[in-house]
Amino acid sequence: MGPMRGRGLVKGSAEGRALVSKKAFTFAHGVDPQTGSVTDVRSDIRGMNVKGRILFYPFGKGSTTASSWFLETVRLGNHPAGIVTEGVDLSAVIGSTMAQLIYKKSIPVVSGIPRTVYSGIVNGEDVVLDATKGEVRGK
Amino acid sequence: MHLDSSQEKLLHGEGGEAKQFAMEIVTKVGDAVGADSLVPIKSAHVLAHYSSLHDAGVEVLERFADSGGKFAVPTSVDPASIDLQNWKSFGIPEEYAHQQFRLCDAYAKMGGMKCWTCVQYQVCNFPKQGETVAWAESSAVVFANSVLGCRSNKITAGMDLACAVLGLTPKFGMLENENRVAKVSFKLGIRDLDDLDYRSIGFFIGRNAGARVPVLLGLPGSISSDQIKHLGAGAAAAGPVTMIHLPGITPGTSTASDAAAGEELEEIEVTRSGLDDIKSDLNQTSEPPDLVAFGVPHLSAGELGELAKMLEGRKLKAGVKMYAYTSSQAYDMAQRTGIASTIERSGARITHSTDAEISPLRKLGFKTVMTNSAKLAEIVSSEGEIKMRYSSQKDIMAEVTR
Repeated sequence: MGPMRGRGLVKGSAEGRALVSKKAFTFAHGVDPQTGSVTDVRSDIRGMNVKGRILFYPFGKGSTTASSWFLETVRLGNHPAGIVTEGVDLSAVIGSTMAQLIYKKSIPVVSGIPRTVYSGIVNGEDVVLDATKGEVRGK
Repeated sequence: MHLDSSQEKLLHGEGGEAKQFAMEIVTKVGDAVGADSLVPIKSAHVLAHYSSLHDAGVEVLERFADSGGKFAVPTSVDPASIDLQNWKSFGIPEEYAHQQFRLCDAYAKMGGMKCWTCVQYQVCNFPKQGETVAWAESSAVVFANSVLGCRSNKITAGMDLACAVLGLTPKFGMLENENRVAKVSFKLGIRDLDDLDYRSIGFFIGRNAGARVPVLLGLPGSISSDQIKHLGAGAAAAGPVTMIHLPGITPGTSTASDAAAGEELEEIEVTRSGLDDIKSDLNQTSEPPDLVAFGVPHLSAGELGELAKMLEGRKLKAGVKMYAYTSSQAYDMAQRTGIASTIERSGARITHSTDAEISPLRKLGFKTVMTNSAKLAEIVSSEGEIKMRYSSQKDIMAEVTR
């Protein structure tokens, strides 16, 4: 499969194993910052861990506190390596921007890749994300 | 993004460290979302509760406050994670309260209104139609766009402070006319709606609209602003919704066609069975609750009055607590009118300046929480430990009072 193309929202590049959700996702109350584990009972990746992964989900949902939950996972070193979404999730953008400013961590974010497209990626597959080009591809 | 010369100066530190930090945040986010400029805002609403900001959020807020940051526009704040007056009597651990008070102090230092509520539009923050605001709190953003006719994006934690300090926000999303056009229509096929139905309808819309702006048809003309508040909160809890066109209510929207700028829309029917599915999904157990929570978002003084009527002459059964969450302003009103004492005589408590979904319910040992708030049911169950029950206020009263 060729690279999937979207728009790089927070620049940078990252590599990691994919963690793929097909449902609306939130860090707020949905990921335990102490471990990086997904706790949300309505998530299809509940029990999986976001740490070091390239995290795919279609949309954000819920509380505007999601960016601070995200930032707390960064503070504790349990954050994903990169994020890919279908719609723009402002929480991911802001969380990643703050992570850069405060903790000097680069967590690139790409959006505009529909779940019908990224559903070709399976959980655990190695992927490479280049947010500067807006590209995501299998390794 | 294009900056004017005064904004350039702020970015280069000429307005001080706090404004420079704020400019770094808004310009990076603005570039990320494709905004071409920064526009002035009339008010801000920010977050300063420990449960969701965590230690990272304390660092961020203190960084703003300690570097001289002051709010440039009238700024209100979401509830705290503890009842700021009576926290000890609710069993809040000392060290937890300490972190919350650090946030309170930093917020106060920056000159914010000490309202501590998620319904600032019912308490202290009153923008008028057509104004641009930068509000956090997803339920309030839906209300601002759908009822007040304001323009606000769902400004998330960190960005909220940056916008408030600058009095500016990146122009994108719901600030642009073309993004406010409805792209999907929901049609209510049922009547005789109770309190739970309004929340479930919102939740149903949030789940099914995806990133599309919805229009909702068929609401009764008698709908109250409190009912719209809960409907919007349900929608925002379930998905990325930031606006619901309500013909006859939303400024500029008299008909579905106005909402959709004349386009034909996909129509989704809201049926009784659709709402029943939401209800069963948000009900995780049939165990008796150890806590009943009302007021996510905060109850108004009027809603406290309705609750008092339901509790008049009744007592809570043993083994269950009932907390009604509200603003300190509505609580004050309830005390002066005797509503508070009616509620408290039943064994229930009113707690103010905090709210259930951002308080440490798990730390306090609650195992099963019952509510009529779809937002609370969704959020607390997300953490995966407390089991939620979701029922109408009337059904809850029948089960937990005598």
